[in-house]
Amino acid sequence: MSSQQQILHFPLGGKISLVPNAWQVWSGQEDATNSSLPDLDHGSHKVLVPFSWWIANHQNPDVLAKAKTGQMGVWFATDDDVLKHADLIEEGKQYWPLVAAHFPIFRDGRSFSTAAILRDRLGWKKEIRMIGDVLIDQLLQGARVGFDSFELRQDQDLAVAQKQFDLFSVTTQNSWRAKRTLMSEL
Amino acid sequence: MYKYDHIDQTLVDQRVAQFRDQVARRLNGTLAEEEFRPLRLQNGLYHQRHAYMLRVAIPYGLFSSNQLRTLANISEKYDRGYGHFTTRQNIQFNWITLEDTPNILADLAKVEMHAIQTSGNCIRNITSDAFAGVAGDEYVDPRPICELLRQWSTLHPEFAHLPRKFKFAVNGAKEDRTVLLCHDVGIELKKSIDLNNGELTNGLTADIYAGGGMGRTPILGSLIKQGLPWQLLPSYLTALLRVYNRFGRRDNIYKARIKILVKALGPEEFARQVEGEWLHIQNGDDNFTKAEWDRVAKHFTKPAYQTLPTLTNAQVLASATATEKIAFARWIERNVKPHQVPGYASVILSLKPHGTVAPGDATTAQMNAIANLADQYSFGELRVTHEQNLVLADVEQAKLFELWQAAKQQHVALPNVGLLTDIIACPGGDFCSLANAKSLPIAKAIQERFDDLDYLFDLGDVSLNISGCINSCGHHHVGNIGVLGVDKDGEEWYQITLGGEQGNDASIGKVIGPSFYADEIPDVISNVINTYVSHRSEDESFIQAYRRLGVTPFKEAAYQNKNNAEKSLGART
Repeated sequence: MSSQQQILHFPLGGKISLVPNAWQVWSGQEDATNSSLPDLDHGSHKVLVPFSWWIANHQNPDVLAKAKTGQMGVWFATDDDVLKHADLIEEGKQYWPLVAAHFPIFRDGRSFSTAAILRDRLGWKKEIRMIGDVLIDQLLQGARVGFDSFELRQDQDLAVAQKQFDLFSVTTQNSWRAKRTLMSEL
Repeated sequence: MYKYDHIDQTLVDQRVAQFRDQVARRLNGTLAEEEFRPLRLQNGLYHQRHAYMLRVAIPYGLFSSNQLRTLANISEKYDRGYGHFTTRQNIQFNWITLEDTPNILADLAKVEMHAIQTSGNCIRNITSDAFAGVAGDEYVDPRPICELLRQWSTLHPEFAHLPRKFKFAVNGAKEDRTVLLCHDVGIELKKSIDLNNGELTNGLTADIYAGGGMGRTPILGSLIKQGLPWQLLPSYLTALLRVYNRFGRRDNIYKARIKILVKALGPEEFARQVEGEWLHIQNGDDNFTKAEWDRVAKHFTKPAYQTLPTLTNAQVLASATATEKIAFARWIERNVKPHQVPGYASVILSLKPHGTVAPGDATTAQMNAIANLADQYSFGELRVTHEQNLVLADVEQAKLFELWQAAKQQHVALPNVGLLTDIIACPGGDFCSLANAKSLPIAKAIQERFDDLDYLFDLGDVSLNISGCINSCGHHHVGNIGVLGVDKDGEEWYQITLGGEQGNDASIGKVIGPSFYADEIPDVISNVINTYVSHRSEDESFIQAYRRLGVTPFKEAAYQNKNNAEKSLGART
């Protein structure tokens, strides 16, 4: 179980802000075979469960009941194949207020493709959060592929982090946020 | 050549500012070295044995005299008076400080250069034919596609942390001069007359080869897509890289290149997965447009050639004095290449003088002088080859003699292009912290052994490539003779491969057996070469003879001294 007090929020077309974090990331490892959810600070937090746990437990009526209250989302591990489970994600659109993709180490870029696929191919319109080993210098890349909220690693300077998103006023390839810059637009 | 527009310039300037801030955070301790490392690598900055090394991109090998002067200036101001041209159309400076790097990058940005993605696990500098736009055997000038792909891949957010480095090469000529099949992705451009000559397609298509590479597991790339209309390259390459980014191995650095994934899945299955992804994104607006082609292609028009008669060799040689005729003729034979336009030729300036400096090195003074030669003889443009030589692509035949004399003064006129001493070598253990063994002293010893031009000319085409470790930056796998530095119990040894070849008949050399000590290498090379000389048929090149004879006679010759030594050792005991 982990969570930072604050996250960076940068909605599409919106402004960057620091907001209180309402979500806890549950590792699912406390008891992988247990289909009951952990005690979430007496219910004060909403929970992001591992996608693999969701796959195994989403037919459990208690889990589904909790999900229907909008208190549950999923997080994708780097080896979760989001395309293989496109149907579950489609179904999840009605329950999950947000999803997250995990960075086990900052230099593992798989979750960039996960976010890009969620946006490009699976039509996920709601929030996608960067979680795990999230460092200042990954934020811009994350924001461009499709992430719009960022739970940074504990030691990262949030003031410096907030300055990372507008370092470039031009781009030379399309991304989730903007098409590549054309001379005619300048 | 390509000129930055406001977008390119802004992007490079802002990249300098971004890196300046990253360096400042590193220096004030808020950014740990381990976390700074991928950031500096993505900007070409390595930490080597003695100092930082900065690798600057020369995209698809094309640069201007003004840019070369800036490189010369950097070598003088921030380094030790020289630069090293690499096997991937980059230049490296070996004695850089971290503190200076942002200023160097700012100097580069002023002349439309950068070090973006010259290292790191991302899409690297895109390489191409050093004779693009002038080669007689060219069917498509690859430079507009190279430039479009440079822009597309620059700071691509999804592919900034791939499992491992990712190298593109682009070829548009009959003869492959790009080592296309040894790249993660090789793009072979074709003009398809059958294709609907619509506004968008231009009749220009690409064949895509994937999964080639050198390194620990040398593999030639497999054809996975034919006839891809050029404008669909961004979506297709996105699909390809996405499959690799998601499924390439990350558990073992030596198994992380795309070649391992392609090999594990099989090229057909890999191609099928790419197609599956591409199907969903191929009609997106990531693809190139006609307007983009026009914007970029207009920079690659022909320079202001004069209408000149084509000169025969005899006419060219007539300008030389009697005493210089033989030497000039040799230079014409080896270092001058045919051109598309009558009355012009392309000239290769050899950065491989015998036994003095590292292959591919140029001093500050040489760089400045070569920049002047480019202005005087070749419309102010230069190219760098993957063999680590420089090219003046557009020289009037009538001025070749004059140029040769000027080049001699700079010691860049040795007529050894394609000969045994035109050695490709990485910086090796003298500089590189990855290397197991030194490369440069081996290159030097071989050049000293074979310092007789008559003999070298008699041997004809033979490539000898040296890598100081299995990362294969010296391309030893595709040298007719390859030398690989290996570490055995802390000692430097050298493994020999034979039969490698670049070009259309590319092949990977075979290891002939146990390794040698450094001081044995010149004799080993001599023995291998002598075997060729004694067995060759008329007009048969080294590689042709090797393919006819097989490895055995060469191998026996290579170990002949070792075997003799062991016999005499055995006799004594």
